[in-house]
Order: sequence, then C-alpha cells, then structure tokens
Amino acid sequence: MITGEGIVKTFKQRGNVLGAREVRALRGVDFAIPKGGAASFIGESGCGKTTLGRIIAGLETYDEGELTLDGVPMSSLKPKQRQPHFRKIQLIHQDPYSALNPTRTIHQTLNAPLTLRAKQTGRSKAWIEERAAEVLSMVGLDPGSVLARYPHQLSGGMRQRVVIARALTVDPEMLVADEAVSMIDVSLRLGILALLKDLRERLGVAVLFITHDVATSRYIGDDGELYVIYRGQVVERGPVDTVIADPVHPYTQSLLSAIPVLHGLERPGEQPVTPVESMEAGQDESGCLFAPRCPFRGERCADERPLLQVTEGIPQEHACFYPERRSVVARPMSEV
Amino acid sequence: MPGQAPGVRIDGLTVVYKTPAGELPAVRDVALTLEPGTITGIVGESGSGKSTLALSLLNAVQPPGRIAAGSVDIDGLGDVVGLRGEELRKARGKHVGYVFQAAQNSLNPLKTVGKQVLDLGRSHGVEDLRGLVRDARELLGRMGLDGARVLDSHQHELSGGMRQRVGIMLALVLNAHLVVLDEPTTALDMITQANILKIVREVHAERGLTTLVITHDIGVVAEVADRLAVMYGGRLVEQGPTRQVLGDPRHPYTKGLIRAIPRLTGDIAEARALPGRPPTLTTVPERGCVFRDRCELRMDVCDTDDPAAVAHGDRIVACHAVKVREHA
Repeated sequence: MITGEGIVKTFKQRGNVLGAREVRALRGVDFAIPKGGAASFIGESGCGKTTLGRIIAGLETYDEGELTLDGVPMSSLKPKQRQPHFRKIQLIHQDPYSALNPTRTIHQTLNAPLTLRAKQTGRSKAWIEERAAEVLSMVGLDPGSVLARYPHQLSGGMRQRVVIARALTVDPEMLVADEAVSMIDVSLRLGILALLKDLRERLGVAVLFITHDVATSRYIGDDGELYVIYRGQVVERGPVDTVIADPVHPYTQSLLSAIPVLHGLERPGEQPVTPVESMEAGQDESGCLFAPRCPFRGERCADERPLLQVTEGIPQEHACFYPERRSVVARPMSEV
Repeated sequence: MPGQAPGVRIDGLTVVYKTPAGELPAVRDVALTLEPGTITGIVGESGSGKSTLALSLLNAVQPPGRIAAGSVDIDGLGDVVGLRGEELRKARGKHVGYVFQAAQNSLNPLKTVGKQVLDLGRSHGVEDLRGLVRDARELLGRMGLDGARVLDSHQHELSGGMRQRVGIMLALVLNAHLVVLDEPTTALDMITQANILKIVREVHAERGLTTLVITHDIGVVAEVADRLAVMYGGRLVEQGPTRQVLGDPRHPYTKGLIRAIPRLTGDIAEARALPGRPPTLTTVPERGCVFRDRCELRMDVCDTDDPAAVAHGDRIVACHAVKVREHA
C-alpha cells in the first residue's frame, strides 16, 4: 500500500536574468494505491504527473506532505534507510531505446541487479541464471534467443519488455510506468499493456501508469483509479471507466474532447469542450487554476480555489464549484 | 484561391538504401495520386517507409538512399525526380512546403523567427521582403499567435505547439500550394494536438492547398484527411476515402492496425495487439507479400508473389486474399 498526503513540490530556478523563479510542480496531492492495485495519472506535459511518479519511485524529494510505503512514513527515515523501501518501486521509462546500455548484452543487463539481489537474499550463482531466464519468460520473451543479444538487435516492443524484466529482477511491489507505450509501435502497444495487466494478476504487482493517452489507462485493469492532474493539482479522481464515460470537471472534459475521433467507426460526443485560452495564457495563481481557460467559469472561480471533494449524485471526486456531466467522449458506431 | 492546388501523381516509386547487405528498398513500387485540394494521410509504423516517401516529393532522399525508379509528377513543376541543383532548390519551399517531424528541432536556435523568414525570402530571391514578413505575421495571427511577438522570439522562447505553428508558417509563407506535414503532432499534448489539427484543416481550405500528412497515429488522419493510405514494409497496402477505410478496412494489416487501437469506450476486449512485429529494412522479404508473416489470411501464393495494388471502386488494396474473395 502506497499513500501520499498533501505532497507539495516546488522547483526553484536560480540564476535567471529576472532573479529566482519558482515552479509549483505539485500543490498538495493525495493518492492511495493499494497492494496489487492500479492507478493512472493523466494530464498535459508540465502538469506534474512525471514529478509525482519520480517522487513515488524515490528519485525526487518532496517539500511538504508525507509519502507512506506499507505504513512507514518516508520522511521519518534517513536516506540510507529509505533504500530498501524504494527497491519495491521500480520505474519504467518512456524510451526503451535509451533505457538499456547499448554495450551490454541482455544477459549482462539482467545480471547486475540479480547479483545484488542474490547477495541480499543469500542465494547462489545458479539462482541468478535461473532467475534471469524466469523474468524474461514472464514478460513473454524467449530467454534462449534474447539473453545473448544486444539492445540494438531487438525491436522497440521487445526492448520495453526487457526493461520490464529488469524491473522485475528486484521483486518489486509496484511498477511506475511513465509513458511506457508512447514510443512503441501502435500494433504492439496493446501487447505491452496486456503484459502489465498480466503481471498484476499473476504476481500481484501494483501498476502506476502515467500517460497523456487516456485510452491506454483502461487497459491495465478495470479496477484502476484515474487521477486527472492540472498544474500540480488533482482535479478529478475516480474509477477509470466512470471518469472517462461521465467526466464532470471542465478540464477533464477538455482533455477527452481533444482525443481524435475515428470517423467511420465512432461518433463524436455531443458536447465537446474547448478551453478558451492556451496553456501559456492561463497561468493565474489566484482562484481555480483552470478558471482562466474554463468556458464555464462562474463567480466563485476567480477568488476561491476548489479542492477535491465529493458532492451528491456524482460518484467520483472532483475539484469544481460547478460540476456538470457533459457528453464529450466519442462512442462506437455500433453502440446506439 | 482554390484552383491553384496542384495534383500529384506518384508512380512506380522505389527508393533504396545502400547497406552492407546491398541496396535494400525502403519504398517499393508505390503508386499514389494526390487529388488537387485534398488532404491525404499516410499511416504507417516505424520503418514502413512513410517518411522516405514524403521526402521523395522534394526529391530530398539523402544518401545512402536514392530514388531507384519511378516518377513524382507535380502539376506546374513536372517530374521532380528529374530535377537537379538550382531548379530543385527553388522548387523546395516555393512549390512544395515541408513541415518537418519535430518542427521544434528544425528551427535555428541562434536566430529569431523573423530573421529566419528573411533568410528564406533571400534564398528564394523574394524582392518584397517587407511584404514577406507581413505575410508571415498574418499567417501566425491566423493561427492564433501574436505574430509580431513570435517573429521577435528565439525558438527557446516558444512552446512546442507554438513552434509547430511556426513550422507551418515557414512552409506556407512562400505561397507553396503543396504542403507535406511529417508527424505534425508527435510530442504535442492532446489539447495542443487538437488545436494544430484544426489549424491544418482551416489553413488548407482557406489557401486552397493540396496537403499530405504523414503519421503513425490513425487518430490524426481520421481527424483531418479526406483520403487515407496505409503503408507497411515499404508498400502501400490499402488506400481509399478515410471514413470508408476506417469503417470497413479490407487489407488484413489495416484491419489489424485498427483493431489494435486502445479505445476510450466500449468493450476493451475488442482491441487486440497484432501478433509479430513490423519488418525493418533488413527483414523485409524480397519476394512475396510483405505482411504475410503476421497475416491470418496467408495463402501459398503470398510466399512467392507480391500482390498487385488492385482498385475496387474507390479503394485500392494490395492483397491476394481480398482479390480472391471479391471474385468468389
């Protein structure tokens, strides 16, 4: 179980001509990912979803709030003491082409973490070889043909599987997949998504999926939770299918409206939402963060910031004073 | 300005790359017609040859690649495969505008956008440079930007979506009427992507263009293109009106590709990955159908004969199995 409470992260840039500049990457984010569960963070680039993923994986510190792994608050520990906890959380990068060392065979790549793991758990050398073959089989690769190869001899999809296999060598409890399929060919994407889902079911590994492609977040399991993040704040949160089918926050609605419609296969939603301003223009710090771009903003939005809340008749949490269901998502032609 | 849009006829086009294993075809025997005033989308996975095909429109395939056979006939320009030197340089930019993949990386980081517009004008012998800058500002304004500010900016001062619009402006400012967009929205966010696609559609209609969009993302093509062409292993396997191809794909690869798109709504079990993996330059079979290894309709003839592209009404499909079914 991994929980975050009120996580705040501010990046400070010094040495600018105009003096120090602050970028608020996260403004008090709460989340909870149960053991073996699934969650997806979606939002535009710069919304803070990758920063949050890196904090969860222990690669970045946070300024305020608390990250708790299996009941242990991380801020109470010294960096050295945190290490064994963060071993349980492994990050899978977007680009399988740069995530593997090109001068090492797959065998060498898997050997390093396995040797470490063998030392920690007191296992033999034979176990290392066995385990290397085992993790490759788990990700759907044939160990016999892959172990001796170099990364450049594998396709993008196979490389991403090797990256996942490497993450599995240290027996993680959660995989953080940051845009893990966006560089994979379309015809192979579902294979990687199905693999992540399969690992959840077989090994009980939780999956945190970070993406800007909302549709892919449905494929790691229908019990997953969706977090929609805008400028460092969670603006909508709920079961993945509920949020996609019935979004209530205008930002979520804008995101979903922007997804291309497969004309001929799908019919577009009847009430598409388009933001009134661009991301660059809408950077006000007062009131609701989305208000400058929101076509439905009301009186309260300029001065008050809505927080994530539950209101009557809406199953998901949302951060909007005027939540309203709108039909924005394209539906298959076959569904009348 | 409609009526100025040129038509393009690509015929028998083969582009080969020199490798240690000999010259291998990245594009093989491709025939494609771009009707004047239409938007055509070419969809393909990595290594399908789609970018190479697009570069052929400018006769800009770089060594070790070369156009080995075929013609690219553009109205008002002739066969660009035969153009050389100065003629070719002038045609690029003036007749054919090209928006490169990741426009963010194709701008000069040391010069303001305005200076790059001037460079472009000078290299094409434009006399009225003031007029050119005015056109550039208007175009940027048309795309929802503050033209004067953008012209005075360096590329690092612009966001990804803004740079992409600058790329489109540079392709259009010399009044080219044939425009090629290579992956116009890769690396852009959903909302920015929707914006850029809207701009592409509007500018296309207003200026009377013939547009070619190259992408790996069927969604992009579905949004903007009138016609859709699907590439695989250097071959065009299917082409036709976008809605027809999406609604009723004929070629087994097109079917598999559409089935492999993650869906926002509906049953997730309906989407399935295509088995196998796309071929690369070195693994494309020399003889027979390029898709046969991943195909569920594979027959004996597929191993030996390359299927010809056959027209079925509005649709052109290169598949032995589809041909058999049509005749049955």
